[in-house]
Amino acid sequence: MLSLLSYVANGALTGLLYALIAMSFVIIYRSARVFNFAQGEIVIVGAFLVWTFMSAFDLPVWVSVPLALLSSLLLGVLIERLILRPLVGEELFAFVMVTIGLLIFIRGVVLVAWGPEVRFFPAVLPMAAVKVGPLVFDRALVIGAAVTLVVAAAASWFFNRTQLGLEMTAVAEDHQIALSLGISVKRSIAVAWGISGLLSTLAAIIFLNGKGMTFLASDIGFAALPVALLAGLESIGGVVLGGLIVGIAVGLAAYFLDPIFHGGVAAVFPFVIMVVILLIRPTGLFGWKTIERI
Amino acid sequence: MLLELNNVEVVYSDVILVLKGVSLSVEAGQIVALLGANGAGKTTTLKAISGLLRSEDGKVTGGSIRFQGVPIHAEEPQNLVRRGLVQVIEGRRILPHMTVEQNLLVGGKVQKGRVERRQMLDKVYGYFPKLVNLRARVSGYLSGGEQQMLVIGRALMAGPRLILLDEPSLGLAPMTVTEIFELVERLRRQEGIAFLVVEQNANVALAVADHGYVMENGRIVLYGTGPELRENEDIKEFYMGMSISGHGKSFKDVKHYKRRKRWLG
Ligand SMILES: Nc1ncnc2c1ncn2[C@@H]1O[C@H](COP(=O)(O)OP(=O)(O)OP(=O)(O)O)[C@@H](O)[C@H]1O
Ligand SMILES: [Mg+2]
Repeated sequence: MLSLLSYVANGALTGLLYALIAMSFVIIYRSARVFNFAQGEIVIVGAFLVWTFMSAFDLPVWVSVPLALLSSLLLGVLIERLILRPLVGEELFAFVMVTIGLLIFIRGVVLVAWGPEVRFFPAVLPMAAVKVGPLVFDRALVIGAAVTLVVAAAASWFFNRTQLGLEMTAVAEDHQIALSLGISVKRSIAVAWGISGLLSTLAAIIFLNGKGMTFLASDIGFAALPVALLAGLESIGGVVLGGLIVGIAVGLAAYFLDPIFHGGVAAVFPFVIMVVILLIRPTGLFGWKTIERI
Repeated sequence: MLLELNNVEVVYSDVILVLKGVSLSVEAGQIVALLGANGAGKTTTLKAISGLLRSEDGKVTGGSIRFQGVPIHAEEPQNLVRRGLVQVIEGRRILPHMTVEQNLLVGGKVQKGRVERRQMLDKVYGYFPKLVNLRARVSGYLSGGEQQMLVIGRALMAGPRLILLDEPSLGLAPMTVTEIFELVERLRRQEGIAFLVVEQNANVALAVADHGYVMENGRIVLYGTGPELRENEDIKEFYMGMSISGHGKSFKDVKHYKRRKRWLG
């Protein structure tokens, strides 16, 4: 019983980490209608940036982390400028191909720049486990869950309450209306890529804190996809709930199904959920459905 | 002259010639009607002016467009909005998942700051008191008339000198249409805003318009003051469904007639 509770609670925490990555995905999708398959790679670049500043250059945490966050923000803006903006007006298919191309390209660059060997990601966050009664949690995940909730609340406030955020929401709704009201759609999309890059590095720190990593850690990007789809691709609040649902479901699968199938079910479970969602409700649970007045 | 088009040509996708030399002008504080059959190029004309054409792979390939004397055919829409030229796109295009007030605030993008934006918001609520009670409502659920009020109010938020208004009467009840045109007239009178209005409903449009143009096939084929056009037999035939003999024609007859009739033929 106790261990079931532990699986569920840890699943929820992991789910919130997925939610953070899903959020970086959703922020781009909302603005640009671009489904960024390379999101996981951007997380990994963020991770290697932190590693480089801290472990290779020996800079202190309080310099390295802001520097990595800033660099990943610039990386996001740069990717938009150089790779996606020239495609504006092209078919959806072009965007799908280009983000898949981006995935392969970044993976190559990471391999060349940082090599295939295992690196130890510095412990940016404290490592000591958190004990709540009889339950034990990874401290980075607990901090990460709090960060995710704060970021989601901040994003929700930003997109609904501030002028720049409202303008970005307008871009998410309809590029042509946004243009007609004097909003620079290009700038909005660039800002979205920047925010997304920054969130990716934040997620990398939580995900890899004090662990060994290789370029393959980018698979986390795929684990976040079901969360984004469940949320409906547009809703920031939905991403948090989606993360909790997927995380807890994975926890339950690990507890009940892994013993039966000798492991492995939990790892693919997010994708099982994703397929089920796409079959039943392609717009996700909290996404923008077309409003149809009767 | 506030707005002046001289022999404007527009091509879509580099091959489809849609405007074949359109000339028209709007003076400060004027209401000008742009009439014409479906596909005549009215919307294209407005988009050529507002700069939205480029987002649809359209290009001004000839002639000149001047706003307040300055050529604007290569200007980004955001700069034009800042200078006081706003288009209200046809089809009541609200931002459906945003509230009424959020829609309006977005429209106030080019305002200098928060204070100016709030002042403008109060002004818009003054002109559209119905929107006050709906301010927190998700705009996708408003009625058609309310949505039309909202998109005009949203354009107003930019503090424009000229509003390009595309088919505001589309799909609305006659009473709502009257209400909207009364508002247009009031905005012109009290705020000095000029309007270039595209309309199928020639009757209401010409009732408030200082002058009007009729387009056919990418050209201006008729020009006159509001009263002149209202008395023009062709216009009566096409838009008001009245024949010279005084018998009302059915819409179908008029449509059929419209197809073979040539303006100024
Ligand atoms: N993006 C586009 N690409 C190619 N052709 C277009 C495009 N937009 C409009 N057209 C064509 O240009 C012509 C004029 O269209 P436009 O929308 O300007 O007409 P309109 O007078 O506004 O008609 P309506 O009264 O039906 O709104 C039409 O034949 C239309 O098919
Ligand atoms: Mg039109």
